[in-house]
Amino acid sequence: MHLQRVLRFIAILVFFLGASMLLPLLVSLAYKDGSTGALFYAMLITSGFGLLLFVATRRPGDTQLSHRDGVAIVTLGWLAAGLVGAMPFLLSGSIVHFTDAYFESISGFTTTGASVLSDIENLPQGVLMWRSITQWFGGMGIIVLSIAILPFLGVGGMQLYKAEIPSPVVDKLKPRISDTAKTLWSVYIAITALEILLLLAGGMDVFEAVCHTFCTMPTGGFSPKNASIGHYNNPYFDGVIIVFMLLAGINFSLHYKSRRGDLRIFSRDPECRFFLFLVGIFVVVVTLNIHGTVYDSLGKAFRYAFFQVSSIITTTGFVTADYEQWPSLSRNLLLLCMFLGAMAGSTGGGMKTMRIMLLAKHAYQEIFRIIHPHAVRTVKLGGKAVPPDVLSSIWGFFVLYLGLFVVAALIMASLGLDLISAFASVAACIFNVGPGLGSVGPMYNYLTVPLTGKWVLIFCMLLGRLEIYTVIVLLIPEYWRK
Amino acid sequence: MKIIIVGAGEVGYHIAQKLSEENQDVFLIDKDPEKIKRITDNLDVQAILGSGTSPEMLKTSGISKADMLVAATDSDEVNLFACLLAKILNPVILKVARVRSQEYLKERGLFGRDLLAIDQIINPESVMVETIRNLMMVPGASDVIDFAEGRIKLIGITVKPDSPYAGRQLLSIRGMEGKVLVGAIVRGDHVFIPHGNDTIQANDLVYLVVRADELPHELSFFHLNDREIRSVIIIGAGETGSALAHALDQTKLHVKIIDKDTQKCATLAEKLERVIVINGDGTDKDLLQEENVNEVDFMVAVTGDEESNVLISLLAKGLGAKKNITRINKLTYIPLVSAIGIDTVVSSRLSAVRAILQYIRRGKIISVAPLKGEHAEAIEAEALDTSDIVNRPLSEVGFPKGALVGAVVRGEDIIIARGDTVIKPKDRLIIFALQKVVPKLEKLLTVRLDYF
Repeated sequence: MHLQRVLRFIAILVFFLGASMLLPLLVSLAYKDGSTGALFYAMLITSGFGLLLFVATRRPGDTQLSHRDGVAIVTLGWLAAGLVGAMPFLLSGSIVHFTDAYFESISGFTTTGASVLSDIENLPQGVLMWRSITQWFGGMGIIVLSIAILPFLGVGGMQLYKAEIPSPVVDKLKPRISDTAKTLWSVYIAITALEILLLLAGGMDVFEAVCHTFCTMPTGGFSPKNASIGHYNNPYFDGVIIVFMLLAGINFSLHYKSRRGDLRIFSRDPECRFFLFLVGIFVVVVTLNIHGTVYDSLGKAFRYAFFQVSSIITTTGFVTADYEQWPSLSRNLLLLCMFLGAMAGSTGGGMKTMRIMLLAKHAYQEIFRIIHPHAVRTVKLGGKAVPPDVLSSIWGFFVLYLGLFVVAALIMASLGLDLISAFASVAACIFNVGPGLGSVGPMYNYLTVPLTGKWVLIFCMLLGRLEIYTVIVLLIPEYWRK
Repeated sequence: MKIIIVGAGEVGYHIAQKLSEENQDVFLIDKDPEKIKRITDNLDVQAILGSGTSPEMLKTSGISKADMLVAATDSDEVNLFACLLAKILNPVILKVARVRSQEYLKERGLFGRDLLAIDQIINPESVMVETIRNLMMVPGASDVIDFAEGRIKLIGITVKPDSPYAGRQLLSIRGMEGKVLVGAIVRGDHVFIPHGNDTIQANDLVYLVVRADELPHELSFFHLNDREIRSVIIIGAGETGSALAHALDQTKLHVKIIDKDTQKCATLAEKLERVIVINGDGTDKDLLQEENVNEVDFMVAVTGDEESNVLISLLAKGLGAKKNITRINKLTYIPLVSAIGIDTVVSSRLSAVRAILQYIRRGKIISVAPLKGEHAEAIEAEALDTSDIVNRPLSEVGFPKGALVGAVVRGEDIIIARGDTVIKPKDRLIIFALQKVVPKLEKLLTVRLDYF
């Protein structure tokens, strides 16, 4: 690892994130919410620190960015982003303890949406805006954004891109990586703008429309309202947000490819078909399950089931209903949704539909081989053979995911959380959902989790967002050997 | 520019690397998943797994909007067919094909407008034969590149530890100004464009710009062996070896060509007049001694196996051959071989990369040659009268750091550049430049006009 080069990149990242506090600063000026000073100092300190670090590091030589440097930049870059993100919370006094502020910030950048705040509406608007912006940046990725903006990365950009993009296979939309990153961010910005317009059309306040959109598109789930989207109790808002959560859960390459209005792009993609199929099945089952038991009218049951399933499977974490009160089958299905997650290449978390499909196909192939020991078969997705090394990397991912999940849940249980809460809190964080079940359910928050537990969950959120390998490799002694 | 390259072998890989470093949109198609993986890991290009002769594949790579197709696989047939498909799918696309078979090359109708309409044929073997002949003309050099139709030569010389120039500052070498100019120095993996106060060190590869007609004189100045060569032994009668033997057949040189394959030798012997064809193993010490390798001026090892070529050259050197030229394909080996005592390396792949790049960089830049070490280039370009560099002494032109004018061609005259040389419009310039300043340089050579 070339420390100088890694630090230099992080310096640029920190400077940039610090400078982006300008928007919440303007918001706080407009609302005169009293957080202007705090935001100004936060901006000054972080971007100043970034600048200093940049000056202090040497210009890297001509050697290429290696894969090792790539994972270090991404993981350390995200940790640093967490620190930057925590500054406004601490300086404005919105969150008193450092651990809580860091938790909130990482939860923002990783688009988890788990919060330690109990009275959100009481916070200054500037800070709320910053909270939403962290999610928006984290969704398409702060590193991918740097690749799009910084011109000098070249091949090195590929290493960074691979380390951050949540997908087992890398789909390059354009021959050059910086163009690919630019394209993805433009699509992201375009859909974001559309959602803001639709929410405004329904009569939502500008500030709230922007905040909610900034948390829908990255499948984040922070809301400036205590009761999340349930606050409005408005079917139109529910509908718009359902659509955009699902859009955010779809691979952004598909959005780009369908830009000329060819909707068959979606129906032809096997992963997209399967993802929408899953959503459909879950919505039907949950609707039938909660109809009669919780809600009297079928329409209402459908509306809440559709919203909650979309919110959880895309790992957004918005709530319109206290699903804690739903029957056990529905709650279990929602827990399964957390695990499944959205499509690869989307802004969602979880295992990703593509991995689930490939694992299932691979498992079937093994069974098939018992019946026809000499059969030659390859695992195919959309008519294309999937290379064996991708499959084995997915199996490794699966095992690590479950292993870390169980270990983290055991630690949480040992810290005194009840069984449901221990498992659900880890699930909600490692799958980047946000609200879990039990004591961290949709109506509660993470404030009561013990200190050690919060750090375990912070680690889980990072693991989930950066898809395990990128983070875990830094903990392996072999990585540090020269 | 959007460029599709078919074939991710050494040639395709290096062309893709060069072009992507210049921010072109490059699509690279290959059948081998391993190669595609290597490309995706190392280059900023779009690597596509598939066959370059599949119309479907070419369509997915967006051939209808591409500007150029470079067919650079090892198979002539694949390359030609890819060009044919390209012509059907996109009639206006520029096509560059790597073709090796001499038989195909003779059939000019094949490449003509009616059939394949190939814009440029790259034949690495003939380029390489040309390079080898150039090297023979300058026996002390390890690289020779022609510019301005051969009137200016760029000579790469490895400085021996016992050379009187090792350890001297460039400024202190008298009698050079206006005649010879040191344009670039390759030291290990590192290339730089020198200043007057830089020092030449032992084992440096120094690039000099020299007027072709003054070559013998300047070479003696550098104490290079300028004795005319008389005898050559070629080992390996493949495409390159045979082509070289044919080219040397008409000269006064004593040429012997050695090959293991009896059949090849018989065919070759039928066609050649003066060259002596010997059937035997080039790695056989007794055979080499029998053929008086100890007195030979040039030993050219061009068998198909690069490891054998290295060993043959070392063996011949040990037996007393004066100079050797070794063919190596893996470009990564090139920096290594000079360390173990091999004089000069030629590579058909490097030749092909050079030729294709020259074609791609058309326009104001007339030709371009990557220097050994790959991070620097010698560029031949025309000075437009709108450019900022004309009508001013060179010392006052704001050249980017890492670029240097080596020579100026004005009609029949050739001027080796000095600080007070003034460039006139329509002059052709030979410029040394580090790869990373090439875009800046291109701008400097054109500016102003392009904005009106």
